[in-house]
Amino acid sequence: MNDWIAIGALALVGLLIPLGMMAVSYLLRPTVPETSKRATYESGEIPTGGTRVRFNIQYYTVALLFLVFDIETVLLFPWAVVYLDAVESDSVSLLEILGPMLLFVAILLVGLAWAWRNGAVQWAQTPRQAAADSDRQ
Amino acid sequence: MAAYQLPQWAALAPALLLALTGLVLFLIDSISPRSTDRTLLAGTAAVGALASLAVAVWFTAAGVGTPTVDGGEGVIEIFDGQFVVDQLALYFMIVVTIVTALIVVASYDYLAGHTYQAEYYSLVVLAATGMATVAAANSLVTIFIALELTSLPSYALVAILKDNRGSVEAGLKYFLIGALSSAIFVYGISLVYGATGVLQLDSIAEVIADGGADGFGGLLGLGILMLLGGIAFKTASVPFHFWAPEAYEGAPAPISAFLSSASKAAGFVIAFRVFNVAFPLGEIGNVIGFDWTVAFVVLAIVTMTVGNFAAATQENVKRMLAYSSIGHAGYALIGLAGLSADGGELVMGAALMHLLVYGFMNTGAFLFVALAEHWGVGRTFEDYNGLSSQAPVACGAMAVFLFSLAGIPPFGGFFSKYFLFTGALQAATANTAMLAVAAALVVNSALSLYYYSRLVKALWIEDPPATRDRLGQPTGLYAAIVVAAVMTIVILPGFGPVAEAATGAAEALVN
Repeated sequence: MNDWIAIGALALVGLLIPLGMMAVSYLLRPTVPETSKRATYESGEIPTGGTRVRFNIQYYTVALLFLVFDIETVLLFPWAVVYLDAVESDSVSLLEILGPMLLFVAILLVGLAWAWRNGAVQWAQTPRQAAADSDRQ
Repeated sequence: MAAYQLPQWAALAPALLLALTGLVLFLIDSISPRSTDRTLLAGTAAVGALASLAVAVWFTAAGVGTPTVDGGEGVIEIFDGQFVVDQLALYFMIVVTIVTALIVVASYDYLAGHTYQAEYYSLVVLAATGMATVAAANSLVTIFIALELTSLPSYALVAILKDNRGSVEAGLKYFLIGALSSAIFVYGISLVYGATGVLQLDSIAEVIADGGADGFGGLLGLGILMLLGGIAFKTASVPFHFWAPEAYEGAPAPISAFLSSASKAAGFVIAFRVFNVAFPLGEIGNVIGFDWTVAFVVLAIVTMTVGNFAAATQENVKRMLAYSSIGHAGYALIGLAGLSADGGELVMGAALMHLLVYGFMNTGAFLFVALAEHWGVGRTFEDYNGLSSQAPVACGAMAVFLFSLAGIPPFGGFFSKYFLFTGALQAATANTAMLAVAAALVVNSALSLYYYSRLVKALWIEDPPATRDRLGQPTGLYAAIVVAAVMTIVILPGFGPVAEAATGAAEALVN
């Protein structure tokens, strides 16, 4: 018997269960059409505003900063794993094992310092707050 | 032999210096954000680019990368061959740093009153770092990463005039097409890796020669075509050229100059290195069933024809230059089309020379457009009418650029085109299709003379409109334009060393 048959059966069952549940609930449930059921948010709250909210661009810059340090971790991990072995062995000097990583982190620090100074991690401001700030200066 | 032997990694110094300049610019901007000290920022970037240029020229003169049989220091491999510093790498580092220095100096005036000064210069220098790294990258992974380092700052630079609709639109279009072509390129890399199991260029060639890729010919061929697609985007060649007129027109003119000269050169260095080193002709033909020169013959003819015919119909000067830069990409592609299993270094050397001369004349032409934008005279041919009566020096330089682009004898552009033509004719003995390429080169050059001289006529012969204000003489823009014009002419007596460097680089790569 082909191994793929088991996978195919699994996929079939996975598809049948939700479809079956939907079909059963369709048969059992009472039908009470009501307009408030069509509202965007129907757990008793009255919706305010549209669904197309504009997110502050700062989420993006923070996410970008996170990504940089995410990748830093990925590169630090294998380095940390071989670090002790490299220190103990005589073939590599301490500068050779430590230097490149310090340089790498220093480059990232320059980037972080720049982003910080240019307001990438400042608390998000509404246009009104920003206007008030500029009045004060 | 030098008294003090530099460490191996120091061979990458041109790229490292550019990276360092980028970091220094970030530091300056961190110390005083929103600084508009244009002299400091543009000066730092220009010093960095010139230092990098000086080091690259020094390395070339000292014989770094020159094979030891020719009395050089030998090709230097860094990180187990992930990077390789040979003549080709140094040659393209020189091209990139020249263009970077020119546009940084020109931007000094162009960006007067702009909010994001430091960001602009650091992005330019980072993009230049990417281009210099591309020149030395010797593995598909390092090529891809360096290519992204080139592309990502470029997208931001095209859109840096945040309040200008054209600039933002151009940035978005450039980004979308760039993302698509990056995806195609990386997919191509994965297919090549799938077929050969290695990523380093010389290892790919070994695997193919050993027959390790037999049976995966279709996969490998598709991968190569996809790599070609990614390269065509970077060099603005057909079929991925649509972004070029849009992006160049909307971008600030110095950035158009940067993209159309340096970025294009970076694309070509990938093409030259990948196709020569990883997929050597002859062996690859047996595996994938066709020689890739066929693809380049078609691409070269179509690219130069499309570029020149489209340029001839433009009314907007910047768009005309954009299409002409597509046409010139077609000329440079001849270098790859003319290769054969046992030769072709002459035609490839000619393509390298053309890219260097093009770096001066095309950058200069776009910088003249930058000057016109700085003056605010308008964008069409008619708006340029009679500028020579008010700014004879700049218009004289522009005439030099345009005639050189067209390939008129006393200028640098004539020589590189002449070498391309003779190289193509010589290559025709091995591949008769090259006769068609050579014919297309001549026909297109003749056609290009029409639209280039149209602009010269507007500048020098037409009468100026009565209402135009007095035109300023911005120092930085003028300096960059005049230097580019002088180099376009001076490169002629100095063509010996250039030709030597270019053919040397080509020979080392082909054989």
